[in-house]
Parts: sequence; C-alpha cells; structure tokens
Amino acid sequence: MMREEAHRFGRGRHLVGIAGVPEGLSGETGVIVLNAGLVHRIGPFRLHVELTRQLNDAGYPTLRFDLSTLGDSGATGGGLTRAQQVCADLDDAMNLLKSRAGCERFVLVGLCSGAQNAHIVAATDPRVSGAVFLDGYAYRTLGYKLRHYLPRMVDPGRWARLLRRRPDPGAERPPSEPVFAVAPAPREEVIADFTGMVERGMKLYLVYSGGISNYFNHARQFRECFGRVMNHPAVTTRYVAETDHTYILTGDRARLLDGIGGWLQRNFPPARTGRPA
Amino acid sequence: MRPDAERPFFFGPDGGLFGMYHAPDMPARRAVLMCAPLGQDLIRCHRIYRQLAQTLAAQGLAVLRFDYHGTGDSAGETASVDWERCVADTVLAAAELRARAGTERVIAFGARLGGSIAMRAAELAGFVEAIVWDPVLDGSDYVAALDAMQAALREDAGRFTQPRSHADVAEQWLGFDTGDRLRRQLGALTVEPTTVPTMVLDSLGASEAIAWDRWIAPHGKATSIVPSTPWNDLRRLESAILSQPVIQAVSGRLRETA
Repeated sequence: MMREEAHRFGRGRHLVGIAGVPEGLSGETGVIVLNAGLVHRIGPFRLHVELTRQLNDAGYPTLRFDLSTLGDSGATGGGLTRAQQVCADLDDAMNLLKSRAGCERFVLVGLCSGAQNAHIVAATDPRVSGAVFLDGYAYRTLGYKLRHYLPRMVDPGRWARLLRRRPDPGAERPPSEPVFAVAPAPREEVIADFTGMVERGMKLYLVYSGGISNYFNHARQFRECFGRVMNHPAVTTRYVAETDHTYILTGDRARLLDGIGGWLQRNFPPARTGRPA
Repeated sequence: MRPDAERPFFFGPDGGLFGMYHAPDMPARRAVLMCAPLGQDLIRCHRIYRQLAQTLAAQGLAVLRFDYHGTGDSAGETASVDWERCVADTVLAAAELRARAGTERVIAFGARLGGSIAMRAAELAGFVEAIVWDPVLDGSDYVAALDAMQAALREDAGRFTQPRSHADVAEQWLGFDTGDRLRRQLGALTVEPTTVPTMVLDSLGASEAIAWDRWIAPHGKATSIVPSTPWNDLRRLESAILSQPVIQAVSGRLRETA
C-alpha cells in the first residue's frame, strides 16, 4: 500500500509535486524524478507516474515534481542562474521528501535535460547518493563516426541512390521539431564530475537509447566518451539501440522501469522498518 | 500571482483524482471546469490549460483543472481509462469545484476529447455553458486517425533506428496503453448536441470542415481559430499545443457573458 500526496512546496512555495510514500516503511533512500524537457511532472507518456508508483510498490518513497517555471511550478524571481535555481529546487525537493518519509539520501532520475539537471545537482550535493541518467551527456567520438559513416561509404546501393537522386524539395521530409535536447558541457568537466561522484561513493546508472543516434550509437561509446571512470564498479551502463528517446512503446517503457528498479534494489535495498514518527 | 492561489490536491470518494484549483482574488460568481483531453493530447495541452486557467482566475473566475482516473497524476493505470468513468469523474469534479468556489454556476471548457466529455457531461454536471475546442464528434473517425498514426509510428525513422514489430506497437495509441473497452467506447462515440449553450472554437482548418450549427443551436456560437492546430501531426507529437487566440476567445466570451 502507498499513498500519493499533492504538495505545493519550496522556499517560495512555488513548486508543485506528487510525493509517493509507501505505508509503514522507513524510507532511507528517496527517489526524485526531474522534468524531461518541457513535459510536466507526469513525464513523457506518463513515464514518471509509472516509474514512481512501481518504486513505491518496491518500498521507495518518491517525488515527481516540476522545476521552477516548468509544468505547474512558478518562478521565484530570485535572480539565480538556471543551475543555481535547479540546485535550490532540488534542495527544496529533498527537504520535502525528508519531512514526509524520513529520507536521508537520494537518487535522482532524469531523462535528457532532466539528466543534465540531475548531473548538476549530483556533482555538488552530498545527499545525492545515486543517479539515473537517461540520454544524458554524450559526445560524437571517433568510434561513433566510424560506426556511422563507414557502413555508408562501403554500401554500393547507397552510392547508386545518391548518384540517381534528383533535387525534389517537395519530397523532403520536414525535420521533427526539437523538443528535447541536452546542452553540451565540456567533456573534461563531465568526466571530472563523474569521477568525483564515484569517489565519494555515488552509484550511477547510465541508460542511453537509439533515439539519440545522431550522436550516440554503441555501448562502447560510454567508455569512448568518458574514459576509465565508466569501468568503475559503481557505474552501470546500458545502451538500448531499438528504443526511442522518450520510450513511446509500452514494452520499452516496462523494460526501462524494470531496469531502474533492479539497479535500485541492488544498490539501495529499501529499508523494511517502521516509519519515523 | 500568489503561489498559494493555485492549490494542488486529491479529491473524489477514494481520494484518487488529482486537481489544481485556481482561486480568484475575490469571491467568484462563476467557475470554470477544465476537462482535459485524453492520451498525448493531455500532455500537449497542459501548458495552455494552465495559461487559460490563470487568465480566467485573473478575471475573477474560480477554475479547476483535473485528471480523470488513469490519466495524469490521478490514480489508476493508463490501460484502465474508461469513457463512462471520465464522464462520471467530470460530474464529481464539477461538484468539487462548486464546493470550493461557493458558486453553482459552472462553465465547462474542453479541448478534443475533453470537449466531447464536457458536452456528454453537460446535463449531468449541471453546466451553464460549454466551451469546446475542436471537440471529437465522431469517435470512429478519431479511432481510425489514431490507428493510422500508430501504424506510421512503427516505422518512423525519425524516432527508431529500425522499424519495430507489429507486436511492439499493438494495443497502444501514441505512447499509451489502450484497453479494449476504451477502443470500443470511442469507436462507438457519437456526440449529440447538448441542451446548454455551447461555444465551439474551430481550429481544424479547411481539411476537416464541420457544419457546427447542429451542435451550437440555439444559444451558442462557433468561432474560427487561426492558425489551425496540428493535432494529428506525428512529427509534432511531443510539441506543446499553444494558442493565444484560443485563450483570447475563451476569455473574451466569459467577459461578454459576465
């Protein structure tokens, strides 16, 4: 059994979120899910609702909420940079989950820009002991380019099609509107962040999809992008070539949720004692 | 806007329905119940629903946005969404809004299937008016359009590196599990005119011309909204639906009838 609670919270009472609190369980580790792009807290195709409820059933307190200016949350007008605001919002979120479920440490889950925001907080806040980065930072490596271009260069059919092609602007497929994107950060900085995270005992789970095939196309690319830290026992990586960026198919979504649930169980077994008074 | 003027809460007999109440600064003489569409349209419309709710609250109307069972933040699995339950939840939400706002005069607003639900619930919920934006009137056409988009999704090269199997995309509509019951209910859906004044906001464009007279008589009106809304464009499936003309039309209508 669990219950969900609707909250308006934060230092400016500007944030809106849904806390899921398993009945009768002490929640040492709370899971906080950040917005994916501009989608409000329910997540793409209700991904965050399904994820938090499945984790509640497994014994984890959760919070899915809207960062400042997203979804139902307002702005504080405090003159903070976006990164400072994200850190302040997550501080408010962690305080809420601590007050509602007694959580002392937290795992952040973010898809795309949510992964980027989770990364910012995970790199600096000692209460964060784990993070799930879904299609987070990545870079086109030499390996990426070889895997992408070589098969095309040696494909005679492709050359034939190219040579036969006539300009026909009407036949061009208009590009999809960009909805989700991760702004780049210097690779060395991201590597240093990952290294610092694992050195202080954090556990990381990176799951990248075929939906970002314009810059990531193989499981080996985790190591190509971020180097030796990806071999650290605290880091788990998974590349799912067949799925899309936002897990539109219910089977893909179910496998993602099972993967996150299993990783949590292995790294942060839920407590089974009574709830704090 | 005062942050506390927008209050998230759960309501209903089992406390499973999520609502966001927008309280006006002054006692409200009228209230607006915002009926969400279903599926991906609900997510795409979240921002415009919030913008409209804030606009109307600033005009002195009490506003309630809410999620039906199995949608948004409300309890229930996606596959359990049921048309009749959506209508029943709308009646419950109207009662909740009356209790919070302290007024009996409730106007319904809804986009796409949210408009259809508002029209179907109009008499049961005692709405004094319905304002509907591109409501779905013929469920079989709607189901056919969703099926066609779902079939196209299977081999969408902009989304998948390889086409997916038919089994992978079965029993879903654009990201959401679809129960047999909902499919049958929507396939058989025919929305009849209501007895309450109905305003139609038509942004379907020339591709889907509808003679609205039957649905708006005798005290309603139809207003054309430009530009048209790309409801069924797979390439924009994850883009928000935004329309300042819709907000202005609804706001203007409620000023006229104040």
